[in-house]
This record gives sequence, C-alpha cells and structure tokens, in this order.
Amino acid sequence: MAESMLSLKGIQKRFGDLAVLKGVDIDIAKGEVICILGPSGSGKSTLLRCVNLLAPPEEGEIFVEGHDICKGPGSGAGEQSWQLDYVRQRVGIVFQQFNLFSHKTALENVTLAQEKVLGRSKAEARAKATELLERVGLGDQLGQYPETLSGGQQQRVAIARALAMEPHVMLFDEVTSALDPELVKEVLDTMRELAEEGMTMMVVTHEIGFAREVADRVIFMDGGVIVEEGPPAEVLENPKEERTKQFLGLVLDR
Amino acid sequence: MSQFFTQYFNFDVMREHFGEVLVGFLQNLLVFAVAALLALTWGLVLALLRQLPGKKLMPIRFVTIAYIDFFRAVPILIIILMISGGVPFLSFLPQEVRIPHWFGRPDPFWYGVAALVIVYGAFTAEVYRAGIEAVPKGQMEAARSLGMSHFQAMRHVVVPQGVTKIPAPMLNELISLLKDTTLISVIALSESVLVSREVLSERLNSSSLTLTAIFFVIIILPLARVVDKLIARQQLKITRGSHIEVA
Repeated sequence: MAESMLSLKGIQKRFGDLAVLKGVDIDIAKGEVICILGPSGSGKSTLLRCVNLLAPPEEGEIFVEGHDICKGPGSGAGEQSWQLDYVRQRVGIVFQQFNLFSHKTALENVTLAQEKVLGRSKAEARAKATELLERVGLGDQLGQYPETLSGGQQQRVAIARALAMEPHVMLFDEVTSALDPELVKEVLDTMRELAEEGMTMMVVTHEIGFAREVADRVIFMDGGVIVEEGPPAEVLENPKEERTKQFLGLVLDR
Repeated sequence: MSQFFTQYFNFDVMREHFGEVLVGFLQNLLVFAVAALLALTWGLVLALLRQLPGKKLMPIRFVTIAYIDFFRAVPILIIILMISGGVPFLSFLPQEVRIPHWFGRPDPFWYGVAALVIVYGAFTAEVYRAGIEAVPKGQMEAARSLGMSHFQAMRHVVVPQGVTKIPAPMLNELISLLKDTTLISVIALSESVLVSREVLSERLNSSSLTLTAIFFVIIILPLARVVDKLIARQQLKITRGSHIEVA
C-alpha cells in the first residue's frame, strides 16, 4: 500500500434536517486518481467541500498526509485556524462555475494568491503563472479578462490558479458540467496530463469515459453513502449493486 | 400673487446678498466634502464588520446591525442637537475634543460633521452591503480555497468587485448628504440656510432662501444626470453579461 495522502473516516454532514453525508470512508494513496460518480443530490460535491473545509463535516475525521484536520472543528469556513491554513496549502479545488476573479486578468487570477498567501514576489508569481498558463495551453491569453474567455479556457485558468499554490491533492467538482460539449475535451485533456504527472486527484464527474480511462478507482455514491467502489473496469463494466447498474444505464444510454 | 413673487423672487435682495449666501453655501460644500469622505470610509468599515464570518464574531455583527438600524431610524436633526448639546459636557474627553476648533473651523462645524458621518455611515454601509452581496458567493469561496484569509478575500476580491456595482445608489446617498448639511444651521453654523434666514429677518424678504435653493439645484442637477447615466451603464453591463453567459 502506497503512502496515504487523504483519508476520510465516517464523514457526516447535514444541512438543517437534511443528512447529506451519512458516514463516508475513503482512503486515497499518493498519486491515486479517484473518480466519484452518482446522481445529483448524492453528496458528491458536499464531500469535496468537506475535504477542504469549505463546508466542514459535523462528524468524522479527515487526515491529510496523516494530520487530522477536523480536530476541534470551529464554526467552519469563516475561521482562520491552523487546520484551514494546513488544508489550503495542500489541497486545491476547481469549481463547476470556474469562479475566476472577474476583475482580474488570467495572469492576475493566477498570481494573486501566490503573492498574498505564499508571499512570492511579483516577478516570481508572474513567472510561475506564465509557466502554468502555457502548460494548460493559454500562453497567448495572459492579459484577457475572464468574460472574454470561453468556458473551457476559463476552467483551464482555474486549474492553473489552483496549481500555482503547489497543492498535493487536487479536487475537481464537476468541472465540465457547465461547459458546452465541444469545450469539455480541452479541460479533460488538461486533467489527464495532470494525472499522468502523478498528481493525487479526487474527481467528481459525470464523464464516464474519463473515469474509465484515467481513474485508478471509481466510487459510486448515492443517498450520502458509498454504494460501490473498485477499479473502473469492475464498477463501470460489471457493477454488482442494483443502484449502480440503474445509474450507469441512465448515463450511458444518452 | 405678486406679493408672493416679490417675497421670494426679489432680484435686488438676491443681488445684494449674493456674496454672503455664496460664502454660506461654500460652508455647506466644505462640510459635505469632509463628511462624505469620512462617511464613505466609516460605512465601508461598518459593512465589513457586518460581513464578518463565524459564530465567535456574532456579537460584533449584532452590534453593527443594531448601530446601522438605530442611526437610520433616528432623525439627523436630533443627533445634531444631542451631539452639540451633550459632547461639551463629557468631562472625560480632552478639551479640544469636547469643543473642537480643528483646522480653524468652529465647533458647530465639527459637531455637524460628526452627526452626518454617524448617520450617513449607517446609510452607506447598507449600500456597500448591497454591493458586497451582489458578488457571487463563489468568488469568496475561490479566494478562501486558495488560502486567503477572510479579510484578504474581501480586500482583494469581493470589495473591488462589489463597489463597481453601487456608484449610482452611493451617489444618491451623497446627494442626500449634501442637502442635509443645511440641518447644521440649527446649531448656528453660518451655512447658506442660516445666512439666508438672517437676511430674511433683516430685509423681511425670503429671496435669499430661493437663492440658496438655486445653488443646491445647480450643483445637484448634474449629479442626478450622472446617476441616470451610471444606472443605464449598469443595465447594459447586466444584459451584456448574461449574453456572454449564454454564448
């Protein structure tokens, strides 16, 4: 067993009376790529938001590189604590809606947190940002504002922005769901390259093809629990559980 | 009818007292400039305090909301009278704060500025709040997920975007603030309305008040047009923005 990067134990999360996560356990090894599938409302996105404490869980433990980040959970997202600093230095996240800073250029989107959080100099941050934007194929768009970029380009800037903080784990929250079909590929290709370079990734997605090709392990969630997990070939081709079969039937029929 | 006309539109009276009234009006503009600068700053501080996150900071949020609600409810005139009547007797304050004569301005000037800043801080805080809340939640989340503190995220991401959404309503507050500088006449600051009323009692003619009104109209009318322009531009941005979303 490889070194553990991320370990979730008995994660529970509720919004008011609604239990969204009802005890989720996941272990992710260094360099592993996990794809999480499931119908909407199954708690996939909430799980990712738990991991980087945007929505801290009520119950359970989260270990990032062996450190429990839920010890003495405060009131959550607003508070600054060593847990927040620790997590956000190590865990990057990319959102469905890109969430690029709309008053900043592509380059500034990638440099801002480098300067303010990591304390890098302007020149350093710029060099790093340029390198990353070139890597995601946007070397010629540095000065563009988000509103002039396509959805796929915006999402690639968002990936570069997260990578600039040199995270050890990357979370992807349905990052292609808001994109036009012809733009999905460029974003998935970027993620595929990242996986090949050995990045540990936790990917919530509806792209079954991507999961089949890139994931080391596929997790199927429904109703706030893990229904089935295993290698993509097993879960996607020969699901054991009835719920998984149903879901895959619906998704693959499209 | 002609009696009304001579009472309010006696051009001889206007001409003879033009200088005095203008000096008074400049006093209004000076109060406005100082109060506007301070109120815009104080309002932003209040808005930021109101947006503080987490359970621990609840008391601060609560006190801020109470402040904003209270000072939006109480008439400014009462605040002005209370400050000028009360502050001089707060013996724990140093003399130069109780009866301030900073920068060669008399104490009514500063009591008036204080009252306007206290009240308009509350009003502008609400305008800032509208701007801050109009910034999509994802912006704050993205900033926090990159490791920025709440304050850094506000400072570099949320507020710069929020303030671009509010110039029109903010300008409305400033117009209102400019007009309310005349209320300081009740504590004997020689601003345009007080000067006009002195002319009235001396000449038994109200044309000086009309002249004051004209001064205000001349300054404020263009500002009102600017507000219209800003609103139109904002609308255009919104429609263009949604078009890009779809495309």
